[in-house]
Amino acid sequence: MRRVVVTGLGAVTPYGAGVKPYWAGLAGGTCAIRPLTLIDAGGFRCRIAAEVPETAGGSPRRSRADRLALGAALEALEDAGLTAADRADAALVTGAVGGGMLEAEAWYWARARGERPPGWAAALRAILPGSHAETLGHRLSLGGPRHTVVTACSSGAVALAEAADLVADGVVDVALAGGVDAMTRMCFMGFNALKLLDPEPCRPFDRDRRGMSIGEGAAFVVLETAERARARGVRVYAELAGHGMTTDAFHVTAPEPEGDGMARAMRAALAAAGVSAAAVGYVNAHGTATPQNDRIESRAIARVFGEGRPLVSSIKSMIGHTMAAAGGLEAVATILALTEELIPPTATLVTLDPEVAFDCVPGVAREAAVECAISNSFGFGGQNVTLLFRRAAS
Amino acid sequence: MDRRAVVVTGVGVVNSVVVGASPALGAWLAQPRAAARVAVGHGRPAARLPEATLAGLVDPAEGRRLSRVCQLTIAAARLAVAESGVDPARGLGLVVGTELGDFTSTIAFADGFLARGAAGLSALLFPNTVMNTMAATTAIAVAARELALTLNVPTVPGELAVARAAAAVASGRVDAVLAGGVDELDPLVAEMLDALGDDAVRGEGATFLVLEAEAAARARGAALLGRLEGAAWRALPARPWGVGRRAESRAIDEARRRAGGRAPGFVYTSASGDAERDGWEARVLAAALGDIPPSASLAALLGQHGGLGALRVAAAAWTARSGLLPGDAGGQPARVSGPGLVHGLARGGGHVALMVSAA
Amino acid sequence: MEAKEVIDELKTILVARLKFDPRRAAEVAEATPLPKGVDGSIGLDSLDFIELSIAIEERFGVVMDESEDLSAHFASFDTLSRFIVGRRGPA
Repeated sequence: MRRVVVTGLGAVTPYGAGVKPYWAGLAGGTCAIRPLTLIDAGGFRCRIAAEVPETAGGSPRRSRADRLALGAALEALEDAGLTAADRADAALVTGAVGGGMLEAEAWYWARARGERPPGWAAALRAILPGSHAETLGHRLSLGGPRHTVVTACSSGAVALAEAADLVADGVVDVALAGGVDAMTRMCFMGFNALKLLDPEPCRPFDRDRRGMSIGEGAAFVVLETAERARARGVRVYAELAGHGMTTDAFHVTAPEPEGDGMARAMRAALAAAGVSAAAVGYVNAHGTATPQNDRIESRAIARVFGEGRPLVSSIKSMIGHTMAAAGGLEAVATILALTEELIPPTATLVTLDPEVAFDCVPGVAREAAVECAISNSFGFGGQNVTLLFRRAAS
Repeated sequence: MDRRAVVVTGVGVVNSVVVGASPALGAWLAQPRAAARVAVGHGRPAARLPEATLAGLVDPAEGRRLSRVCQLTIAAARLAVAESGVDPARGLGLVVGTELGDFTSTIAFADGFLARGAAGLSALLFPNTVMNTMAATTAIAVAARELALTLNVPTVPGELAVARAAAAVASGRVDAVLAGGVDELDPLVAEMLDALGDDAVRGEGATFLVLEAEAAARARGAALLGRLEGAAWRALPARPWGVGRRAESRAIDEARRRAGGRAPGFVYTSASGDAERDGWEARVLAAALGDIPPSASLAALLGQHGGLGALRVAAAAWTARSGLLPGDAGGQPARVSGPGLVHGLARGGGHVALMVSAA
Repeated sequence: MEAKEVIDELKTILVARLKFDPRRAAEVAEATPLPKGVDGSIGLDSLDFIELSIAIEERFGVVMDESEDLSAHFASFDTLSRFIVGRRGPA
């Protein structure tokens, strides 16, 4: 199997378009969770979310989610300096959940009022998560293997794992992978109905945490073989050295209380990378700030790594839970933590939950040079994935 | 890199005409009956599964919370696992392909809110609005604890799921994977597809296969129902939902290369009655194969749905064993030999090719 | 509203929102355990209880704060109906 490295990054986030403002926001510990503007939150206990302040341009005929995805994907491709020939063979793996739901809802809400807006069929079809891959593939002329994975909140991370397999196994030399989700009424209302949202910005690992905050965004990365990157002299951000994917097979929404599936995913990532637990200096946690996830996840981390180290933080404290984009956005944050030697904070953490046995980097980013870092994404329905990144050899 | 041989050890089929494991499928292939079509909403008649069939397959206590499309998936998955005799405790992955997911639950969830505001939101329905609900519930039902993927693409979700699962087994990442596809009919969706110009006769159902590493399957004495000689997936240029013009692709060549370069003796295609798309697929096959060998699609008989791709892989294994290729319009089967190509091409450009032989 | 009326409404909720078969719902007695894992229970899990509390808020106007531990009240229709009647006050 061939070594897989990251040579391009792209992101559209609640801090704006581009990786630069994204990292600036994370490094500065800036919380981007604010009152909702995109949807009407009247009647709900929680009325805040982390919205992308303006989309990355693009045709207004496209769905918001398509525009977010295109913005991030284009940045990643340019960052990696891929040629048209590279793109013709490049694989594309997209993680998505909501698709063009925001626009389809607007149509469906209008239909309920007795209106018949034109383009309803296309709007409805654009709900399908696979539609982003069609848009990206067409607009970016990507002709290699293409698939869309839907694994709820871990979709973005699964997309990276899938693309890494394609490169490692020699199916392709280059892949573009990432995740996207735009704000939707369905998602916001649904999590409200499940009583999983905090009316205030979420506080991962805090003793007084009360639930999630919702966010939106997109992140894509370019993966290629280490050899190819070296041969063409492109800058390598980090190596995607291993990953683990498991399923709780326990309940459609609740995580399995012992965190067994989470621990297995982390162990599988270590084994795939041939790395010992001691080499991992940072865990970018799933850290949704629900009472359950954070308790179970921190116990699972302790089972794999022992208590007290590594450093653990959740950037959902700043950008909320960006659903299918989360795995991609959090991978980018983890990669930059390695290259910048700075661990993004759990910005809203005030009082650490005494059951959490780790330094969760409260409030302020922490300087630290680590050899390896992992990013956890644990989706609804027990869909667990851990990505392991190793700092690029200098 | 060492690639392991991949075999099929179980088949589960649930649709309006065939319900059962490989013997039931084989009996139908020997004498294919077309599904009856009933009106679904304002759309054209489609092949809908009778409610009694599904009720007989899922226990009511379990089925209480399961959406219909989840019930279809679980029913087919269980049939496949039972036939294969594989032990999930030794590690079982799951790959579910779907074109339409659980539109029904999504619409019902939205309707609840539109009718009654926040109080009308259903916590029970909400998880079903995310397309991985079929995989999540099926993983619970069959205790699949390795990777569990849901793949979304039009027309070829089942083919893609089987190809992806085969790659996972061949590369040594997992020893056994349950792979296949599912779709259900919904009136609003039928209307939507009509409006988008998709002329396919629609159906619904699920088909799942158990794929295993051949060595492991033989070691435990499993019956080998077929072998996946080679599988590949790519993309052809096309607008979203569009039909492309390019006929050259590498998916068929790559699948054949992995199968030792052999030419297929027959083809199961993804022809569905969507004339534009069907024409494009015919051109792609001609560009890759020259003279196209005897072909069948089965979509006209069963109605287009995400379960067809995996069903065609099982059918290809049956055809490779029996030497018979069923006719899409009834009539005498064609006599064929050699490995078969299972081919799928989607609007928007998704392209899958699998070479299948008798084990 | 009396406890008996409340119980009838709860049975309707079992069918309409929790997707129980009507005959099964009719068979549920006052003392039948509700939560999964208890002998003879109708097998409700955490997701069912969230749905039930949404329905109770809608039907009876009883607002429940998730910071309260109300699990004792959800043990059976008997305890639940008394909780609801108590929270509604005189009607």
